[in-house]
Amino acid sequence: MASISIENIKKAFGGNRVLEDLSLHIPDGAFYTLLGPSGCGKTTLLRCIAGFHEADAGRLLFDEDDMTRVPTHRRDIGMVFQDYALFPDKTVFDNVAYGLRARGVGKAELRQRADRAIESVGLASLAERYPAQMSGGQRQRVALARALVIRPRVLLMDEPLSNLDAKMRTQMRDVILDLVQEAHITTVFVTHDQEEALAMSDRIAIMDRGRIAQIGTPEELYGMPVDAYVADFIGSANTIPVSIESADPLSAGNVRYLLGGRSLDGVRACDRLDGTGILIARPEELSLAPVDPIVPNAVPASVLRRQYLGFKTSYRVKLREGPEIRVDLSAISRAVDFHPGDSVQVLFPAQSRVIRA
Amino acid sequence: MSFIKPKWWPWGVLTVISLIILAFFVLYPLGVLFNNSVRDESGALSLAGFSQLFDDGVFLKALGNTLTLGVTVTTLSVAIGVPLAYMVARYEFPMKNLVAVLPVVTIVIPEVIVGQSWLLILGNNGLLTNFMERIGIELPSFYGWNGLIFSMTLVYYTYIYLGVLAALRGFDGQLEEAGLSLGTPPLTTRLRVLFPLMLPAVAVNALVVFSLVVGNFVLATLLGSRVPLLSVMTYNEFINEMGGSPLLQSAMSVVSILIVGIVLFLQKRVVERKLYTMTPGRAPQAAPVRSGAAMIFTGCVGFIIFLSILPLIIVFVAAFTETSGPVMRWGVWSFASILRIVRSAPEPVFNSLTFASMATVAGVVFAVLASYLIIKKRNALTQSLDYIVVMPLTISGTVMGIALVQTFNTGWLVLAGSSAIMVLCYAVRRLPFAVRNASSTLFNIPDSIEEASISLGVSPLMSFFKVVLPVMKASIVSAAILMWVTTIAELAATIVVYTGGLETMPIAIFRQIDGGRLGLASAYGAVMITMILVPIIVSIKLFRINLFSNR
Repeated sequence: MASISIENIKKAFGGNRVLEDLSLHIPDGAFYTLLGPSGCGKTTLLRCIAGFHEADAGRLLFDEDDMTRVPTHRRDIGMVFQDYALFPDKTVFDNVAYGLRARGVGKAELRQRADRAIESVGLASLAERYPAQMSGGQRQRVALARALVIRPRVLLMDEPLSNLDAKMRTQMRDVILDLVQEAHITTVFVTHDQEEALAMSDRIAIMDRGRIAQIGTPEELYGMPVDAYVADFIGSANTIPVSIESADPLSAGNVRYLLGGRSLDGVRACDRLDGTGILIARPEELSLAPVDPIVPNAVPASVLRRQYLGFKTSYRVKLREGPEIRVDLSAISRAVDFHPGDSVQVLFPAQSRVIRA
Repeated sequence: MSFIKPKWWPWGVLTVISLIILAFFVLYPLGVLFNNSVRDESGALSLAGFSQLFDDGVFLKALGNTLTLGVTVTTLSVAIGVPLAYMVARYEFPMKNLVAVLPVVTIVIPEVIVGQSWLLILGNNGLLTNFMERIGIELPSFYGWNGLIFSMTLVYYTYIYLGVLAALRGFDGQLEEAGLSLGTPPLTTRLRVLFPLMLPAVAVNALVVFSLVVGNFVLATLLGSRVPLLSVMTYNEFINEMGGSPLLQSAMSVVSILIVGIVLFLQKRVVERKLYTMTPGRAPQAAPVRSGAAMIFTGCVGFIIFLSILPLIIVFVAAFTETSGPVMRWGVWSFASILRIVRSAPEPVFNSLTFASMATVAGVVFAVLASYLIIKKRNALTQSLDYIVVMPLTISGTVMGIALVQTFNTGWLVLAGSSAIMVLCYAVRRLPFAVRNASSTLFNIPDSIEEASISLGVSPLMSFFKVVLPVMKASIVSAAILMWVTTIAELAATIVVYTGGLETMPIAIFRQIDGGRLGLASAYGAVMITMILVPIIVSIKLFRINLFSNR
């Protein structure tokens, strides 16, 4: 168990700069997720922590120990791979015992620890099976047991759930969380699935083209995205250009902006705002009202398309003098129903955040 | 290891060592050969050798003959191999499963046995020759063009057949269905959709066959005594110039390397670029054929397979047939020939066993290492390793032998006349095949299992032994067997590098044929085929591996 400190790490492949001067601190015992689209550098960063890539510059520390130049096999890590990477010629037991044997663990203790690890992932009856004889979910469990049985300082997971079907994926989330919490181990989890990240993590680092876009708890990232990229990556968000009417320079927070010929209240989410800004509005935070009577903090719009999705109804509407946006009305709150061609008002909550354009 | 950067250990170091070994045993001998071809008696730079060659009518005739033979055999091989592959891939007919023996046959029956057994049947004193003579029909002589074309086509059509069959099986049947759905009738669809997609596969394999025919020494020397050919002429020049300046042999070798080099260049640059990658779809169903046509299909395929297996049968029958001098007394069984080689001349058997074992071990170890570096540790250095490893493909056995003898007969490392040069020669010649074999397996092993092992605390080098090698086991065994089998039967290079006391079985067979003692030749042949078959059978039984899956 250890904290992980990444200090100004740079990594390029040929001329392609994948990590640009990136720093990150992962506290001891945290479940820490690196989230981002493919190509954002999250896997490269994980592989730098693992030691499969040597960083071009910067330092990597586990607690106070400088690991920058330590080869992978001496880093004392546990790693779970996207394709599980089970040794095809070895049984479940031998796969799990592999790391223990490498550490010279005695026969009796090895047997006991490997058995317990296999049992903890619920595969006690399959210990003599070969990987080819198992389902994807079972292989994933073996991979977990194999990584955890050596009691590594940190656990690294590279999109471990992406090869599973949707149902198994949600099931494995619980398995992973249970095991990791029991072992109380620092975990770095790489994924491109925002729902997975929100559901599992203590903290999330959202990455964008080799940089950290924002770090925070799931609630912070969802509630207070610093920019349109984060807002749209965590959940989904309408990003609407607005012109700033007045921003109170002293009190952090309030802003008045113009949209569709109306003046609305919002929350300022950056130091300075003038001229134009971007309004971040999540579809589920918006609501619709008939065009009459005029309500405060609303913008006239017309309905383009209506999609009924059971638990909610999703509308595509065109704001007057503005872009097309999405509005989701939940099944419970749906008092009135709208149809394509209807004229409506879109209600923006006063907590909607406005950021610099 | 403290003086080596951890980054360079172990793979960087091993790459450099492999490159040095290859440079020394492949590039350096070739360099010596090329250098010798442009030096005159005094050692000055000159093109005298080449101008002498191209003024020589016999050489030009041999060159022309070789190219003619190459084109003829390639054409005939395509004419047999392509229809055969098409029948097997697309139709269902009785006894079709017999074709499964074809890939085995190509490996198990060495060329020298093919040549020898057809001599037993169609040679001057052959079984069929004598029979036809008795009923008053005189068969044309088997020596010369007839025998060369006939036997080489029988050896090489399988290359076309196997290559085209693989392409046909990889063909996505939906493409044909798409053609049909767009309104072209079945035959037109095949012509417009299937044919263009198969053409590159045919061309690639045809070029391989052409280069093999050009380099062929064994059948050329056994059957071509009346037809001067490049490979035989090069060998004769090597014998002539023994001890003198190796000018003409070098020049001739260079000419044959250039021919094959051009062919392989064409293959890489022109044809392979046209190879289409198809998304593996459904292979089209083989259509059953009805009674009349089925008889013809079965008959054609059966006849071809019969001709391919016949040498195997003939050699064993002849080995146990009574002989008096050159005359085979067919129908009279005897152990005399077998007993005679076992009692009085068993050395070739032991020599073959020893050299083939050593070459197999050395070759497989090197091939596994080289292909691991090439596939798993891609960088500029391993890329050059990849290029050098396949170089022996462009060099026929005879030429390789000549290059090694010229290089290692003087200087600080003298290998000529020792068994080391035999082993070296075998290992180098089979290296491209062994590397290809190991590479295809390695390619399918994900990098992550190795990384998993390293992440669990095992060093990179030990991870290779503990994780990669066990997964490669089957392909290592099959590479070893193929290496073993082909080195046991090697003649073209052996005949150049061997010296007294180091005769191998193929040499013994060759000499017995030369002396007209076909009975003794067959006895050696039977022993040789047994030594080829036993490890194949054992490994299939023991390791349950499919030796021919990736051919």
